[in-house]
Amino acid sequence: MKRAKPTPVDETEEPQNGIADSDSAASPRADLHDAIGWIILGVAVVVASLQMDRLQDRHINPYTIPGLVPGLLGAGMVIMGVILGTRSWMRGAHRQAIVRATPDQREWSKRALLAVILCCGYSVVLIGHGLPFWVASSIYVTCSILVFDHMSADPAKRRFSVLAVAKALLIGVLSSVVVWLVFERIFLVRLP
Amino acid sequence: MLQGLQDLGAAYLSFMNPMTLLYGLGGAFMGMVMGILPGLSATLAIALLTTMTMSLDGNVAILVLICSYVGALYGGSRTAILLNIPGTAANAASCADGYALAQQGQAGRAIGIATSGAVTSTLLGVLFLATLTPLLANVALKFGAFEFFWLALFGVTLSGSIVGGDPLKGWLMGLVGLLLAQVGEESLYAYQRFTFGWESLAGGIALIPALVGAFGLAEVLMALSDPIERKIHDLTDSVLPRWRDLIQYRWTVLRSGLIGVFTGLLPGVGEDAGAWVSYAAAKAVSKEKEKFGKGSIDGLMAAETGDMSSVPGHLVPVLALGVPGSAPSAVLMAAMIIHGVQPGPMLMVEHPHFVYQVVAMTTLASLAILLFGLFGVRPMLQVLKVPRNILMPIVFLLCTVGAFAVASRLFDIYAMVAVGIGAYFLRRRGYEMAPLVLGLVLGPLLDKSLRRGLVLSDGSLEPFFTRPISMVLAAITIFMFLLYVPVFRSAVGRAWKAVAHGARGALGKSDA
Repeated sequence: MKRAKPTPVDETEEPQNGIADSDSAASPRADLHDAIGWIILGVAVVVASLQMDRLQDRHINPYTIPGLVPGLLGAGMVIMGVILGTRSWMRGAHRQAIVRATPDQREWSKRALLAVILCCGYSVVLIGHGLPFWVASSIYVTCSILVFDHMSADPAKRRFSVLAVAKALLIGVLSSVVVWLVFERIFLVRLP
Repeated sequence: MLQGLQDLGAAYLSFMNPMTLLYGLGGAFMGMVMGILPGLSATLAIALLTTMTMSLDGNVAILVLICSYVGALYGGSRTAILLNIPGTAANAASCADGYALAQQGQAGRAIGIATSGAVTSTLLGVLFLATLTPLLANVALKFGAFEFFWLALFGVTLSGSIVGGDPLKGWLMGLVGLLLAQVGEESLYAYQRFTFGWESLAGGIALIPALVGAFGLAEVLMALSDPIERKIHDLTDSVLPRWRDLIQYRWTVLRSGLIGVFTGLLPGVGEDAGAWVSYAAAKAVSKEKEKFGKGSIDGLMAAETGDMSSVPGHLVPVLALGVPGSAPSAVLMAAMIIHGVQPGPMLMVEHPHFVYQVVAMTTLASLAILLFGLFGVRPMLQVLKVPRNILMPIVFLLCTVGAFAVASRLFDIYAMVAVGIGAYFLRRRGYEMAPLVLGLVLGPLLDKSLRRGLVLSDGSLEPFFTRPISMVLAAITIFMFLLYVPVFRSAVGRAWKAVAHGARGALGKSDA
C-alpha cells in the first residue's frame, strides 16, 4: 500500500533542508529519541485515562466510561513507540555517532528560532491586548521583513538602510490595512 | 432518476446569477494563488476562506470553498512545472515530467496539458459525484455504530499507511490526531477530558485553527527557515490548453480519471494518491515508458488528471458518509457543518437537493479553472516573484485571522500557534500531517461509535467482527497493520507473484 514514489520535495530526502543536528528525520538515533517520547506520552495518557472519573454515581454503563477510548489510544501509542524504538535499535541507533551540525544546518535552526519568536511575539503578545489589529500586524510584518532581509545571503539586502526600513514599513502597514479592510469591513469578520 | 435530473437542473439554474458566479471565480482565483505558492495547500485555502465567507449565504459560501479547492490543486501544478516543487502535495507526481518539459523550453505546453487534463478530469469526476453519492448514501443508511467505528479507524489507518514513506510514523500521527480529538467535553456525558481545569479547553481543539496551524504556520516556518530561495523557469511558449494532446492521450485521461475518482472514494488517502496511482498505471501500460520522468506528456497528463478527478471522488464519502477522504475535504466538511448542513447518511433525507448543488458547484469550479487557464496563467505567476521574506509574514497574518475568526476566541490563536510549531518540528522529523487531520476529524466519531457499539452489544466485541460491512472494514484495517510485519508482507508478496504468474500463464494459454 506504499506510495509508488517518494515526493521530490520530501524533507527527509534533502539534508540541506536543515536537519539541525544528529536528529535527522531518517536517522535511527532520531527515531529512538522519538520512540522514547511516544512511549512516555502514551504511558501518561493511559495513566490519565485510568484516573478519569468513571461516573459510578450517575450509574452509567461501564462500557461507556469517558477514559475508555483515550486509554486505548494511549496504549496504542505505547505499542507503536515500542515498535519504533525496536526498529531504530535494530538499525543501529545505539552505535550511531553524534554528528556535529554543519554551518548550513545551524543557519537553518537560527532562522527557524527567529521565525518562531516573531510569530509567538505577534500572536501571543501583540494580538488581543488592546493594540488595534492593523497596528500589531504592521509591527509584526515590518519586523519580520527586516529581520529576514538582514539574514539574507545577498549583502545588499543585509544592510539596514532608511530606504529598506521605509519599504518594509510600507509593506507592513499596507498589507495589514488591506487585511483589516477586506475581513472586517467587506466580509464582516471579527478580528482580534 | 427523473427527479434527480430535475434537481440537478434546478441546482445549475440556482447559481446562474452574476454575483454568485463572481464569488465562484473569486474562490477559484484565491485557491489558485494559494496553490501556486509552494507549501500553501488547498487545506489552508479552504480554511482561510471558510472564515472569510461566514457571513455569506450557505450555498454561495460552499461554492467559494469548492472553487478554491479545485483551484488550489490546479494552481499547484504551475509550481511543480516551473519550480520542481509541488504547489500542493497532490501535484508531486507532476514534478518529474512537468519540470523536465520546462527545462526543454516547453513550460507553456506543460501548463496547457495540465489545464486540459484538469478540466476534463474534474468534469468526469462530477459525473461520478452525481451518480455515486445517492447510491452510497443508500448503503450508508445501513451503517450502525459498529460500522462507523471501523470506518473511522480504517480512514486513519489508510491515511497513515499511504501518506509519507513510513506507515509507523503515519499511524502515530493518526493516534495523535485521535487523541487531540478527545480533548474537551465528550459527547455522551459532557465529561471534560484532558482540560486540566482550563475552561478554554472544554470546547476542545477546534478543527480550523488546528488545520491552519498544521498547514499554514508550519509551512511559514519551513519557508522562512530555509536559507535558499528558488527561482522559477521563464515561460516562453503558449500556455493555452492542448486539446490535441488531450485527444491523443484520451485513454490515459479516461483511465486516470477513473483511478482518481475511485482513490478519492477511499477515506484517508488524499489527492496525491490519485495522482501517483494514475502515474504508475500510465507508466505500466505506456508505449513510451522510457520518457517517464524525462518530460513525458503521457506521465504529466496521468498525474494531472488523477489528482483533479479525485476532488469529486473525495466529495462522495464526505456527503454520503460524513467521512472525509483528505485534509481539504475535512475542512470542507467542517464548513458545511458551520453553514447548517450535516453531511452523512441522513443528508439525502434531510437535504436531498444539496448533493446536486454540490455537483453544480464542482462543475462551475472546473469551468472557472478553464477560464483562468485560458486567460490568467501569466499574471498569476507574478505571485511567485514576491520574495518569501515578504509573503510569509503576510500569510501568517492571514493564519492568525483565520484561526480567530470562526469563534472569536484568542484561545484558538494560541491553539493554532501550538499546533503549528509542533507540526513544524514533527515534519522535520519525517512525520506527515494528513493522518493527524483525519484523526482529529474522525476522533469524535470513533469515540462515540465504540462506546455506543459496546452498549448495544452489552460489552461483546463480536458484532464488531461479524456484521457483514464491519467484517470487511475490520479485515482491511487489520490487513494494513499486518502488512507492516515483514514475514506477513513477504508472504503476501509471494502469493501476489504466484497469482500474477498464474494469470499470465492462463492468458498465454488462451492466446495460443
